[in-house]
Amino acid sequence: MQKFLSFVVAVFLLATGSAQAEVNAQQAEDFIKQVTTQGIEEIINSDVSIEEKDARFADLFNKYLDLDFIGRFVLGRYWRTSTPEQQKEFINVYREMNIKTWSKRFDEFKGKTFVFKGTTPSNSAGQIFVNTEVPMEQGAPAKVVWRVKETKGEFKVVDIIIENVSLAITARNEYTAYIKKSPDGVDGLIANLRQKSQQ
Amino acid sequence: MKKFGLTAFLILSLAACATNPDGSKLSADDEESKVEYYNRAMFNFNYQFNKKVMKPVAKGYKKITNQFFRDRVSAFFDNLEEPAYFINNLFQGEIKNSGISVGRFLLNSTLGLAGTFDVAAGWGLEKKKNSFDQTMAKYCVPDGPFFILPIVGPATPRYVAGWTADAYASPLFWALIDVEDDGVDAAVVGATALKYINLYAENEGLIESLEAGSVDFYATMKSAFLQNRQKFVSLCAQGADDEETLSYDFDFGYDDAFDEEME
Repeated sequence: MQKFLSFVVAVFLLATGSAQAEVNAQQAEDFIKQVTTQGIEEIINSDVSIEEKDARFADLFNKYLDLDFIGRFVLGRYWRTSTPEQQKEFINVYREMNIKTWSKRFDEFKGKTFVFKGTTPSNSAGQIFVNTEVPMEQGAPAKVVWRVKETKGEFKVVDIIIENVSLAITARNEYTAYIKKSPDGVDGLIANLRQKSQQ
Repeated sequence: MKKFGLTAFLILSLAACATNPDGSKLSADDEESKVEYYNRAMFNFNYQFNKKVMKPVAKGYKKITNQFFRDRVSAFFDNLEEPAYFINNLFQGEIKNSGISVGRFLLNSTLGLAGTFDVAAGWGLEKKKNSFDQTMAKYCVPDGPFFILPIVGPATPRYVAGWTADAYASPLFWALIDVEDDGVDAAVVGATALKYINLYAENEGLIESLEAGSVDFYATMKSAFLQNRQKFVSLCAQGADDEETLSYDFDFGYDDAFDEEME
């Protein structure tokens, strides 16, 4: 009987869970359109100084990416064993390192456009995939998928998947491998990322 | 003696390279880590090879060529892949696509000036890329374990098998066996070298920016390589038209079971 009851509860939770999970596809797509348009028009193709571009990119990055959410995922099991200070430090250096490395790549995106190819539902509650393609001069277009999370009507990017490669998974595999081998654990990773963001 | 010198150099450079990302020595004691020990050593060897050999060569190559020329080189070698696309599209029952591959090869080899221009795409015949790797995936051949090949880089047994099979379908290979002439053999070797120098030159920026943001470049490459291969997984179980299973739709929460599975 108890088993049956927990079964009923599970089914109920699943049902309500998936009802909550409905993300408005049109709104999610419009959100990514806004992000990419702003990135291309106001940063990549704009005629401002490199410093101004970097500053604008940092704003865009902080505004549209949920880095607390991503950072927590990326640390994997080590998130729970880290102190609150380490967690905070990690999110900070992870943010800085990302802004730094992406800023260097603006030129690669010059003249590129995003073609929207609809959305795909996700198994994670409150999340959806927005599919885009970037036409290339040579060969097939690059497939870029944006994982979008909606919280109380607010949209954030939580992952970018380029040609089937998830940036969140890649970072997670890399960072957990690093921590496992580093004698200083999470602190070793934080120090290395800080060095990378200051280069 | 010369040979011994080279072998000694290779062994020494492998030993010197076998370090952890933080610079500490890696121990090969752990049975489980032996494969990774080899992989990291070979990865570091390839890394040094790229840095010391490929990079300067690509730099010189870029100096004497322009983007237009490099695009023609890319298109020329892409065209030579069409016979492999044809065969694999056929194997996978994509009859229409295999027809397109034949049409593209004939058109581009002639009107497209030996494949240096993709005129077929201009007439609506878009490239239908395919590979023996994908054919095997469709027939549920397992991928096998990840490993690093000398020079070539990240690989799996199925990846290597597919790559080898596709090479047999290339006109470059036909030239190698059909014509009894050392001049032709040398030309094929030269062409293959040009292919990889061109490929490296065109992707150098991408490789470098990947590395710039990475604390453990080996782990990054391995993760990216294996994720990219996940695109073939659904071919086996459900057939090509099923797009329901997204390999990157992992549970983006924080449960423990997922942690174990991922690491």
